[in-house]
Order: sequence, then C-alpha cells, then structure tokens
Amino acid sequence: MADKDYFAAVQEAVANALGVDDDEATGDATLMDDLGAESIDLLDILFRIERSVGVKIQASDLGDEIQGGIPDEEFGAGGNVSRKGLEHLTTVMPQIDPDEYEDKLPAEEVIMHFTVQNLADMVARRAAEKEPA
Amino acid sequence: MKLDGRIALVTGASRGIGRGIAEALAAEGAAVAVNYRSGADAANEVVAAIEAGGGRAIAIQGDVSEFADAERVVKETIDGLGGLHILVNNAGIAKDKLVYHMEPEDWLDVMKVNFGGVFNCTKASIGHFMGERTGSIINISSVMGQRGWLGESNYAASKGAVNAFTRCAAMELARFGVRVNAVLPGFVPTELVEGLTAKDGGKGILKQLPMRKFGDLQDVSGIVTFLATEDAKYMTGALFTVDGGASAMLGTGAPL
Repeated sequence: MADKDYFAAVQEAVANALGVDDDEATGDATLMDDLGAESIDLLDILFRIERSVGVKIQASDLGDEIQGGIPDEEFGAGGNVSRKGLEHLTTVMPQIDPDEYEDKLPAEEVIMHFTVQNLADMVARRAAEKEPA
Repeated sequence: MKLDGRIALVTGASRGIGRGIAEALAAEGAAVAVNYRSGADAANEVVAAIEAGGGRAIAIQGDVSEFADAERVVKETIDGLGGLHILVNNAGIAKDKLVYHMEPEDWLDVMKVNFGGVFNCTKASIGHFMGERTGSIINISSVMGQRGWLGESNYAASKGAVNAFTRCAAMELARFGVRVNAVLPGFVPTELVEGLTAKDGGKGILKQLPMRKFGDLQDVSGIVTFLATEDAKYMTGALFTVDGGASAMLGTGAPL
C-alpha cells in the first residue's frame, strides 16, 4: 500500500471517529489540540485503522514512538524535552524543529503536537515492518 | 432463529438462570460456551441438552472472579467456537447475613464474584468486541441492587455495582458498536435463592408480589435473548427489571 493510501485511511479514521470533515482532518492538524481528540477518541481512531489497513497500534505505542526508547531522564521527562530527545522527535514528528523548541517543549505536551500526518507516517512504518524482507 | 451464526459465552451456566439463558440462546441458533466453576457434570449436561436440540456448545471451566481465569475462558470461547458476539455475565453467589453477623470478608467475597466477574469478563473480551465493532454484553443483576431486603446488604451492594458499571461501560463502548445492558430479575426460584423462596412454600414472599407468583427461567432468558439480538440495536446502558411488579410497589401496596 502506498504512503498516500495510508494517509487516506488514517484521515478517514480520524474524520469518522471525531465526527469532523476530511478538510478539517488535514495532515498538519494536531489530533488532540486542533481536533480535540480525547483518550476514547484515540482508541476509536486506532481500532478503525486496524480494521481498515490491518495495522495494530496500541495507544501506549504513541508514547513509545515519541520517546523512541530514550530513558526518561535523558529524554527530559518531567521537564522540557532535551536536545537528544528533540533530535529523536524530529524523526517521527518532522514539524518539530529542534532549534526552535530547544528548552521550550515540556515532555508531557509533546503528544499535543502529534498530527494526522505523524500518525499516517507511523502506520506506514509499522506496515513496512510487518512486510517480510 | 435470530441468533444464527452468533457465538455466546454465558458465565455460571451449569445451573439456574445461567443454564436457562444458555439453552435459550442456543434455541435461537447461537453457539454457546457454558462456563462453570466447579459443576463440570452439570455443565456437560447443559452442553448435551443443547446438542440434543441440534445446537453447538462447549463447557469451559473457570472462576471468573479471577482475572486470569476470565481471560482464559474468553480465549477458549473464541478459539473453541470461532468468535464471540454475546457475553452474558451471569455468575453470582450470595452470602446472606445481617450486617451485624457478617465477617469483614463477607462483602468482598460476594463482590469479587458478582461484580468482579462482570468486570473481569468485560475487560477480557473488550479488545475483541472493539476490534469487531459489534457485541452485546448482558449483565445479570437483580432488583436487590435497587431495593432493600433483610440479609442482602452484600449481595445488594454487588448488584448496585453491576448496575452502575453497566451504565459507564455502555457509554464508553457505544461508539464501538458494543451494547451493554443489565437484566434485573426479581424472585426466580433457583439454588441461589432456595433459602428465601422455599421457606414456608414461598408464601411469605408471594403475598408481597403483585403477580402472586415467582418468575421462571424463561422470564429472564426471554429478555436476555432479546437484548442479544439486533431487535435491541438501539438499547444500551439500560436496566431491565423482570420482577412481576415487585419493585413498582411501595411496601405491600396497601394497608396490611
């Protein structure tokens, strides 16, 4: 499945789960801030994605993706995201420029910046991992 | 047959109301997992009765008050029957005593089965139901959760918990296509309530029931079956009383 198809599937899941139009669920719309998704909405989105493209993502996986295996203290948990944390973040959330956000991004707020595109990219990555080499 | 192709798990189905429900669901075409804790022979009888009627059933041992057992029972249902669409949380116990005579553990023991079983089986099957985007969960509660009766405080508390949980779970699961309802029987003579209904031929209670009769297994299984079908597709978070009018009455309804 091409990346643009994963985007379409994710956009549809987001739009249906949140009851918004496709033109609101744009790639750069943040799930929790712009679109107001709460914990139950996120579950709805992830279950819909699993049903439509067969990629299973747990709600806790989002946190893991964001932190990228970096230990809490090194990442900046409890405070602002560290430089090292930001350099990882930009690989899964390219809209976050480490220079711009240095010392300015509380770790617990990172999820608020997660966009529809970020989710689509994550789904595409997971799908690729599933494919046999 | 309204439940053709559907698969149901009924907890505590080796006897009493649970058995009645298992047989009724099977009569509508559902394949049924008959869960029991210790009554293996009785559970196998239920399976045999269902099969004799042309249905499909398996007996699954498990104590649903233990989460690991609940998980295993759900998994064995899905593996053994090929899926799960209907969960009837029926397993229940009673330890009737005046509060004055109760031991501290007498409330928790009853709560762990009556509400714990509901929680555990719901939790154990929730991921499956949400993924399938379809499902009907029916919790067997009791009018005792709504009204007082001597010696029932722990049982009543557990059924009150079931009622409250039913509402919240229904709300959370509604958008995933899963309905959650509760059935609240009044006095239906089974082993669980033998002590109450057999005493004195039941006169002491019958005189207080507007219909002057106890309920039977079909009275409960009828509404449970309905709630499992698509006829109830817009019903969720609701409590269905089946008590011959008992809880509609204030006291005995007239001067003694």
